[in-house]
Amino acid sequence: MYILKATDVHKKFHHNEVLRGISMQVEKGEVIAIIGPSGSGKSTFLRCLNRLERIDRGSIEIEGEYMVKNGPDGKAVYSNEKDIARMRLKMGMVFQSFNLFPHKSVLENLMMAPLLVNKTDTRKARETAMMYLEKVGLAQNGPNYPFELSGGMQQRVAIARALCMNPDIMCFDEPTSALDPELTGEVLQVMKDLANEHMTMVVTHEIGFAREVADRVIFMDEGLIVEEGHAEDVIIHPRQVRTKEFLGKVLMAR
Amino acid sequence: MDYISSLLPFMLEGTVITLKLFFLTLIMVLPLGVFMALARLSKFKPLNGFTQFYIWVFRGTPLLLQLLFIYFGLGTIGINIDRFPAALLAFILNYTAYLAEVYRSGIQSIDQGQFEAADVLGLNRWQTLTRIILPQMIKRVLPPISNEVINLIKDTSLVYAIGISELLRVAKIAAVRDAIFVPFIVAAVFYLIMTAVIQQTFKWLENRYAYYR
Repeated sequence: MYILKATDVHKKFHHNEVLRGISMQVEKGEVIAIIGPSGSGKSTFLRCLNRLERIDRGSIEIEGEYMVKNGPDGKAVYSNEKDIARMRLKMGMVFQSFNLFPHKSVLENLMMAPLLVNKTDTRKARETAMMYLEKVGLAQNGPNYPFELSGGMQQRVAIARALCMNPDIMCFDEPTSALDPELTGEVLQVMKDLANEHMTMVVTHEIGFAREVADRVIFMDEGLIVEEGHAEDVIIHPRQVRTKEFLGKVLMAR
Repeated sequence: MDYISSLLPFMLEGTVITLKLFFLTLIMVLPLGVFMALARLSKFKPLNGFTQFYIWVFRGTPLLLQLLFIYFGLGTIGINIDRFPAALLAFILNYTAYLAEVYRSGIQSIDQGQFEAADVLGLNRWQTLTRIILPQMIKRVLPPISNEVINLIKDTSLVYAIGISELLRVAKIAAVRDAIFVPFIVAAVFYLIMTAVIQQTFKWLENRYAYYR
């Protein structure tokens, strides 16, 4: 059963065609890593999945429901806002730059959306928040403000914040790119824990994570999927020349 | 000394007028500026266009001219407004334009990621604005707002032009009557006291917002 399905997704920024027909499906509990050189469109594609960017053509289905599909003229038509809002809540998003709310404490960051969007009562929201803070190893940091935490801790808070909305899918857009190398491990560990609990995940730009954790790896270049398959096949035995070149460069650098 | 204390009752009366104009303007323009800034940032073309035009007109002409226009100019076409309401109207119109631009720069300085984070968490536009964007905007605009507020207290002296007896006009009348410069010095001291209070207020506000970065 596909939980997420994208078909022939096209996206232009002005005249620059960033996505040139991307199709992919995600099964429940599957962990997918999207890798590729910068400018390949992988982040844009991830952002299209929950409509941070609008697509020009193609369709996106979440749990069997269309968020967007082609109209009769071949251009993408989005569902009504109410349905989209409901569908988007099934997807948690973690950003490269954390995007915590700096004027709110860690606990307030976690409780805000459950309180405002789900109208959860305060006690329940606090319980959930504390549970997820513990899960990411920050049970003591509820009263802190984001600026008081390291980057790794901030990103773990961001993951906990997304989890508080009880999503079915977690999207990670280059979750460790803004971190000092010694801080990436703690974030990847939290992500691995999630994968072990069968959270459905789509992650960009994490070669190490792709190799160790992902069920499937997608290699993108110039707005197209060049190669995809089991993590080992794609990373250890790539078939396409471009995949080989890319992996050669990144793995050498490691 | 006796001379100064003989001046004080008049000077205080003038100060009351000054402060009345100051506070009434302030409580109107602080929120109005926010709405104007939001209108200025609106993607709805007519609203956006109107605000740009409005800001151009009210920042692009002298406040004194606006004051004269509203009091005397409108009078010539049959719209008569009393001195004080006319002054208040001119100040509100003018300062809303200035504050709108300050707020706009504050809103635009907020990282796009804040909007996106609120968006993916399901917050609607109003919640995003009132819970995420405006609270952070206020911290950033406090220094430029304090500038505007200090300008405002000094600009109140312009209403002498339509015959309102605020602090500076009272001082001028006394100075001319007694052929002495002392009343101006007293007025300067009064202004300095008022601006000092404003400065301290903003210092306190900035400290209150210093709990996060």
